[in-house]
Amino acid sequence: MIRLEGVTRRYGEKTAVDELSFEVAEGEVCVLIGPSGCGKTTTLRMINRLIEPTGGRILIEGRDIMSLPVEELRRGLGYVIQSIGLFPHLTVAGNISVVPRLLGWDKARMAARADELLRLVGLPPEAYRDKYPRQLSGGEAQRVGVARALAADPPVLLMDEPFGAVDPLNRERLQTEFARIQRELRKTVIFVTHDIDEAIRLADKIAIMRDGKLQQFASPEELLNHPANKFVHDFVGADRALKRLVRVKVSDVMRSPATVFANAGEIGFREAAGRRRFTYVLEPDGRLLGWIDTHDLDQGLSAEEAITLVDAGEASVGPDTSLRDALSRMLGLGFRSIAVTDDGCRLIGEVTFSSVEAAMAEGDEHIAAPAEADAG
Amino acid sequence: MALVGAVVALAGATVLPFVELRPNRLVPGAMHGFAAAGPWAFAVWALVAMGFTAAFLRGVKARLVAGSVSAIGIVAALSWALGSAADTLLAGQAPVSRVSMGAGVWVMLAGAAILGFAGQERTHRVLWRLVAAAVVLVALFGAFHLGGLERISLVREFEVRASSFWGLLGNHLALASAGVGLGVMFGVPLGLLATRNRRARGVVLGVTGVIQTVPSLALLGLLIVPLSALSQAVPALRAIGVHGIGAAPGLVALTLYALLPVVRNTYVGLSGVDPAAVDAGLGMGMSRGQLLMRVEFPLALPLIIEGVRTASVLLIGITTLTAFAGARNLGVLIIEGLGQFAPDLILLGALPTIMLAVAADSALSAVGRAVTPEGVRT
Ligand SMILES: Nc1ncnc2c1ncn2[C@@H]1O[C@H](COP(=O)(O)OP(=O)(O)OP(=O)(O)O)[C@@H](O)[C@H]1O
Ligand SMILES: [Mg+2]
Repeated sequence: MIRLEGVTRRYGEKTAVDELSFEVAEGEVCVLIGPSGCGKTTTLRMINRLIEPTGGRILIEGRDIMSLPVEELRRGLGYVIQSIGLFPHLTVAGNISVVPRLLGWDKARMAARADELLRLVGLPPEAYRDKYPRQLSGGEAQRVGVARALAADPPVLLMDEPFGAVDPLNRERLQTEFARIQRELRKTVIFVTHDIDEAIRLADKIAIMRDGKLQQFASPEELLNHPANKFVHDFVGADRALKRLVRVKVSDVMRSPATVFANAGEIGFREAAGRRRFTYVLEPDGRLLGWIDTHDLDQGLSAEEAITLVDAGEASVGPDTSLRDALSRMLGLGFRSIAVTDDGCRLIGEVTFSSVEAAMAEGDEHIAAPAEADAG
Repeated sequence: MALVGAVVALAGATVLPFVELRPNRLVPGAMHGFAAAGPWAFAVWALVAMGFTAAFLRGVKARLVAGSVSAIGIVAALSWALGSAADTLLAGQAPVSRVSMGAGVWVMLAGAAILGFAGQERTHRVLWRLVAAAVVLVALFGAFHLGGLERISLVREFEVRASSFWGLLGNHLALASAGVGLGVMFGVPLGLLATRNRRARGVVLGVTGVIQTVPSLALLGLLIVPLSALSQAVPALRAIGVHGIGAAPGLVALTLYALLPVVRNTYVGLSGVDPAAVDAGLGMGMSRGQLLMRVEFPLALPLIIEGVRTASVLLIGITTLTAFAGARNLGVLIIEGLGQFAPDLILLGALPTIMLAVAADSALSAVGRAVTPEGVRT
């Protein structure tokens, strides 16, 4: 889909991007990462021709970008710039509608599209469409920037540190949302960051750069398991095993736990637990109510008293949660396992400490590899 | 601020001479204090006292209202006080004797202006201003026709010149507007050029800056020679009225003076546009022209209008000087007044000039506010 061949950009003596070659397949997220000043932004801006390469060429769907009219090229490449750059004199809806207006859409269609995109990025249209950029928080502005880039449904998104200006908590929320949106839209995305966790979380492919040169171009798993050189090794960091867990989803390793309905009584509870100490207790409709510790029954507590009620939102994780988040939740609660529930709080499985351990050790087998899965 | 205004107004209404009674329009005469205004003096004093209380009121709104009412009241009462003084002093005098306004009048007006404008920063209520203007106009009209204001020397000068006055005023406005118009026509593109090209920036900003330092009279004088030559050489130009003397050198000079504020504000406005917005616009596929019309100009427009406002006020004043080069406008009255040592004739030229400048100033301020996009209002 997007192919860079020996792309080079010089500024006088300095070579900002040096013989860069890689290819991003349709629907993939390619993350460009590296230390500040390594040429990420320059690379991105050469793709939409805000900067002209001094050497090499860039092909999109097999066509050299230099052969396309520049405005037409750019309208096919949604661009989220590093500093957001919303137009201060336009409302949120006006900002989102900039490209549709250039394309001559009619008013109703533009308004409908703006609302649709606001909903997509998690901002209620009624509350946000008529606001001005100065009335938005940094995170809201980032979202509007993303919505604006998506407005005319371009097949490609170029995103330059789109979550750079956001605090860590909101950054993680935005990343999760981005992953969700991307699952829905399947854009071809080139995403710049210098946050390795963000890269591992979101990327299908990571291009890691240093001083304008490509150091390694690989899937996150490959990068974690087989760093190409010392620079990549050091950049990825010492906690590679932990980072690997980011790529594993709870649903990949969860297993069915012992369960029992709340009205089963003591005999029923003991039967369900079998040799195990703990059993999840469910409501008749399958929703998680709590758990039973058989030791409590042994101590003479009645069946009702022995049930430890839980708040499903607190003490369980969703199937799409990363294993690392599940692990940190377990550590936080002091449990050796955690329930997995679906959107309706129904119990669908459980993840245990030992399965996390296993994933950490022999991670590769469990690692989701969407790129390869797509190809096969 | 209100306190300062009240003190100034009080000075005008007490210690300073109010009017001057002169045997005829050219020779000096005897000064008379504010007591000459008779009962109207008490009205003015009461209003000045109200100005003082405005300074000590608690609520912002109360202060604003008291200050404004006092300011408008002083102006209105003053017109009646003047008329009354003229009636009293001229009774039994020869028809050629004149009553001219003294320093006290001007100082009271200044005090009222300070009182009126203190706090106006916070409210730009157009309605309020219109009401104020209407009250003052009605008072003036009344004082003029019923209160003896028409016997003031300034009015007598006007009566003598009534036939030519409006023509001069119209010319004045036309010449200044033409200068501003041409200044915008050349200045905005030059300002744009300055943002686009670094080498052009130095030249454009430098040259327009230097023009501003040339004294107006010198510039007019310097223009006469080349314009005469041009008019001699090109008959077509002569046919449309280009001569070394008259409106042509004036218009050229005015256009040149308008350039600096317009060019500089256009440059500052355009280069002040957030580079990230420019980047985003280009990155989304806007052409340079679309970027200019949809992003850069809308954001720079308030500053450009601000430049036009500065240029307009400047040009309305400088236009009086073009009378020296033969242009016929309010400057003619001032020059004649100077020649005859007739202070009230000078005033007849100067006061309307000031009023034009003030009107242009507030009109263009309003335009500037109107074109400020809601999203960038503070
Ligand atoms: N217009 C320019 N003139 C000269 N050098 C430039 C120019 N633009 C970029 N560079 C240099 O090129 C190198 C790469 O810059 P680039 O903006 O691509 O870095 P980056 O990887 O995006 O960094 P960051 O993470 O800080 O955004 C830097 O060393 C920078 O100094
Ligand atoms: Mg960058």
